Amino acid sequence: MELFGFEKETLLDLTVNVIPLGIILFFIAAFAVVSPFGLDPVFSGLQFSLMISMFLLLAVLTYYAGRAVEDAERAEEEHATLDDPDGATELADDDESTEDDAELGSDDEGLPEA
Amino acid sequence: MAVGDLLLTGLMAVLLVGIIAALTRIENWRSYTPLAGGGTATGEDGAVLNREKPAGIIRWLTTVDHKDIGLLYGLYAIIAFAVGGIMATLIRVQLVVPGGAILGANAYNSILTSHGITMLFLFGTPIIAAFANYFIPLLIGADDMAFPRINAIAFWLLPPAALLIWAGFFLAPVTENMIEPAQTAWTMYTPLSAEQTNPGVDLMLLGLHLSGVAATMGAINFIATIFTERGDDVNWANLDIFSWTILTQSALILFAFPLLGSALVMLLMDRNLATTFFAVEGGGPLLWQHLFWFFGHPEVYILVLPPMGLVSLILPKFAGRKLFGFKFVVYSTLAIGVLSFGVWAHHMFSTGMDPRLRASFMAVSLAIAIPSAVKTFNWITTMWNGRLRLTSPMLFCIGFVSNFIIGGVTGVFLAAIPVDLVLHDTYYVVGHFHYIVMGAIAFAVFAGIYYWFPVFTGRMYQRTLGKAHFWLSMIGTNITFFAMLALGYLGMPRRYATYEFDGAIAPLAQVSTYHLLATTGAFILLVGQLIFIWNLLQSWLEGPKIEDGDPWNLERDGMLDKEWEWYDRKLETAITDGGEDETESALTDGGVPEGDASRSDDN
Ligand code: HEM
Ligand SMILES: [Cu+2]
Repeated sequence: MELFGFEKETLLDLTVNVIPLGIILFFIAAFAVVSPFGLDPVFSGLQFSLMISMFLLLAVLTYYAGRAVEDAERAEEEHATLDDPDGATELADDDESTEDDAELGSDDEGLPEA
Repeated sequence: MAVGDLLLTGLMAVLLVGIIAALTRIENWRSYTPLAGGGTATGEDGAVLNREKPAGIIRWLTTVDHKDIGLLYGLYAIIAFAVGGIMATLIRVQLVVPGGAILGANAYNSILTSHGITMLFLFGTPIIAAFANYFIPLLIGADDMAFPRINAIAFWLLPPAALLIWAGFFLAPVTENMIEPAQTAWTMYTPLSAEQTNPGVDLMLLGLHLSGVAATMGAINFIATIFTERGDDVNWANLDIFSWTILTQSALILFAFPLLGSALVMLLMDRNLATTFFAVEGGGPLLWQHLFWFFGHPEVYILVLPPMGLVSLILPKFAGRKLFGFKFVVYSTLAIGVLSFGVWAHHMFSTGMDPRLRASFMAVSLAIAIPSAVKTFNWITTMWNGRLRLTSPMLFCIGFVSNFIIGGVTGVFLAAIPVDLVLHDTYYVVGHFHYIVMGAIAFAVFAGIYYWFPVFTGRMYQRTLGKAHFWLSMIGTNITFFAMLALGYLGMPRRYATYEFDGAIAPLAQVSTYHLLATTGAFILLVGQLIFIWNLLQSWLEGPKIEDGDPWNLERDGMLDKEWEWYDRKLETAITDGGEDETESALTDGGVPEGDASRSDDN
């Protein structure tokens, strides 16, 4: 199973942050449906932008952290199993992640060990 | 008009994010930081540090060695802990009788204010920096911090900060109370803090500002170190948990403390230059609360994340099992880091802010409880079926988990608006956060001190005293702060110097009983901490010397981390050198093994 280019293991690890994301999403939906205090362009705007921005920030950070960890793990495996064909194919057929690799790589330019 | 403001703010945010994005594109940051490039991960000391250190006090005044600076931070924080602890004792003595036992209202307010600020800014942040300075470079296989001199500067800003914060206490007697200690409470709410004419408040604000600058410099250093100075074999997948929490904490500091600094400057200008940032006709008093808590809530996580990292690092060592769900702990740490910036107004639920806005802060506050709870389950699961060794550090870790559960659950209650409207500004809040700051943060600090005592002293502490310290702290904490939770339910308001309100606010008889209990607990705590200080000092000077690099027998479980390997190497070189190096002070010297060295499983 691949989602956002993550392996199953990583996805499982990332579920921990899916729960708070889900809670925020629940409240966004709930407040959209039920608004006992009425709607107001400024305050309802602030209300939703607080929740939505938190949702987005957490999602983005979780994505990049997962990427960084998974890429580091792959690099480790690559070292350990250079002659293992399975490991190699797994790395090779994952084009989506090579794109991401490039993206992350540009962020990490100044960091030799990253 | 408000919509226009909102739009402008939004544009401003986009602009700032754009600038940050542009800055990350600059490639040659490292060319500006020659110190960052020093050496490889193989040597113990970087090129800068290979020179002999000068002897005596000069060594400590001029050192840029991360271990020395770590010890300085530690010493500083322990002194602040003692000062803050004495203040806490005075507060509790005052409150044994409803009329107040020893202090007038002004003195009480001064001491209450200084207690909070001292414990949070002069003990909490520095003691974490102590561990981080000493152990992050060792744990990640770096030679030193990325910027050793900035590291030293960051520390040396702290003593003047403390003097400024406490200035009123020194100056009141000599200026005939012209300059008094600040009486603003640690939150410095306007209009009180803007209108008190006492110059002691200005000095305190400046001191706080200085400590914020110090914390920010330290944070930049840690981020740079963890990103750029890792050893070849350390990557994002195997970075230890303490470094992860310090990295997240540093990011929080980077975003939170400059904001505190700006708010403090605005307050200083309101006080001295007749600006109206927080005046009713200007920004209004609520502006202060928003700015303060936008810093203040991240600050509580700045204080709690690294202790969580310490526990995640130490607890598995004495459970004989690897940390359960290591990655869960990592990702949930990051989640706490982000979400802590979206909950600040849960401190302001009762201010009459817009109910829609309030509801969204409740939503995010409930969401942030999850990552904290996840960690708790990870710690418990790590111990499940483990081979527990109830050493002093382990006892403190278990105490941490226990107290953190109570602190966290009471926090979730407070995050619910209807509950908070009842309990806000009562002792319940005081109980909630003390379960965390004393019951959890201080406990993790104790665990860290005992666990690494051999590394930074070369000796072993006295285990009986360590256990006495634990039990007195555990019992004292739970008596004192549980009584406070009960006081809150009774309706006892916080920050009162006296409580002779017989029935008008709360039932006096019960309130007095619980105050008495809280004071009793505080004295138990005090005895425990005296034992701790005694143990620390005596064992440092006379404790049995450590002879091998694995006093906790971690190798058996394959859990000997890098800092112990480093320590072992250090011991071995000391032995082959044929003896102590007298110019190295005994403080960092592992020394020569003696017959009675303690190597035991259950210190
Ligand atoms: C589980 C997550 C937590 C939640 C949901 C939570 C919630 C709250 C809420 C709603 C309040 C405001 C109560 C009021 O004034 O009426 C509060 C106060 C406070 N909390 Fe927490 N809290 C949590 C964790 C923590 C942690 C980890 C710390 C410390 C490191 C902490 C420290 C504090 C402090 C210092 C205050 C009081 C500030 C003051 O008014 O002086 N909390 N908490
Ligand atoms: Cu908070």
